[in-house]
Amino acid sequence: MDIELEFISSDALKEKIGTENKVNYILDRVRGNKILILEESLSYEERKKLMEADMAQIDDEFTGIEFDTLGGDEIVKTWTEKLKKNLIKILGGKTGGLTVIGPSKLIREIKKHPQKISLLAGIKEE
Amino acid sequence: MPFRRLFNWFRRIFRGRKSISLGLYGPPNAGKTTLANKISLDWTGEEMGKVSEIPHETRAVQKKEHVVVKTGANKIEMNLLDMPGIATKVDYKEFVEHGMSKEEAQKRAKEATSGVIEAIKWLENVDTALVVMDSTRDPYTQVNITIIGNLEARDIPIIVVANKLDLEDSKPGKIREAFPQHHVVEISAKTGKDIDVLYDAIAKYSR
Repeated sequence: MDIELEFISSDALKEKIGTENKVNYILDRVRGNKILILEESLSYEERKKLMEADMAQIDDEFTGIEFDTLGGDEIVKTWTEKLKKNLIKILGGKTGGLTVIGPSKLIREIKKHPQKISLLAGIKEE
Repeated sequence: MPFRRLFNWFRRIFRGRKSISLGLYGPPNAGKTTLANKISLDWTGEEMGKVSEIPHETRAVQKKEHVVVKTGANKIEMNLLDMPGIATKVDYKEFVEHGMSKEEAQKRAKEATSGVIEAIKWLENVDTALVVMDSTRDPYTQVNITIIGNLEARDIPIIVVANKLDLEDSKPGKIREAFPQHHVVEISAKTGKDIDVLYDAIAKYSR
């Protein structure tokens, strides 16, 4: 079995309006046995929604995801910080970071370091 | 966030609430139920739930009400919430490897996924959280980071519990390094080692 990697630009993700659309878009592609590299980090809210949606989709065939994200770990609490971040997005700017997501049956190990993510992929033996 | 703290304070005063909700969060097999049992046994005389080496033994939120912790001059009444372990994957075949039939394993996997969703939804409703980690494992995982990040974003007090100190290869220092912004308490829920330090922290940091 081949392993397909898909690199997705932040512009492509911007078209997915709202967290639910973004999460569904990601999970649809991961369920197609693709490992995705997103050109942006996920917020804590998006990661939480991703985990919830992932759990709801698990069945005998799809056993879930592995993911890690670089950047975006700072807490956006005040409305001014949120406004600043949203303005950057509206004006076409990039908030930075990257995210790696794939089906758990293809990812043997994913490890986050302060400045990088290492991923070991392969078909797990039954 | 000061506004949220103020809001929570007002909410507590006007609802006449005397106790807080203390949630035990963490990945599967970090020792959450062992710790919940220890706390419950120490302060109420009763245990809360079954402990197992098979992951996802706790598949629904377990609640123990009116647990009163007293340390020195501090006294806090709480509803103790033992959460299902949060994970990003659940494979029924893993349960089969532990000796379950395929049907039992599939049922357990289904219940486990529902439990994770329930635990995630509760992230918005606890007043204080103990984030329990197995100190023999790498703490810098996306599950731990996501739990802590979401609690921080809601300004919910967090005590990180570096559990399983009784194991030879435990490295609680790694947990301190990974989450330097939080109060970390090193314990063994199994043997009760330094559990009093945790009770002091609960009384001090909960609100």
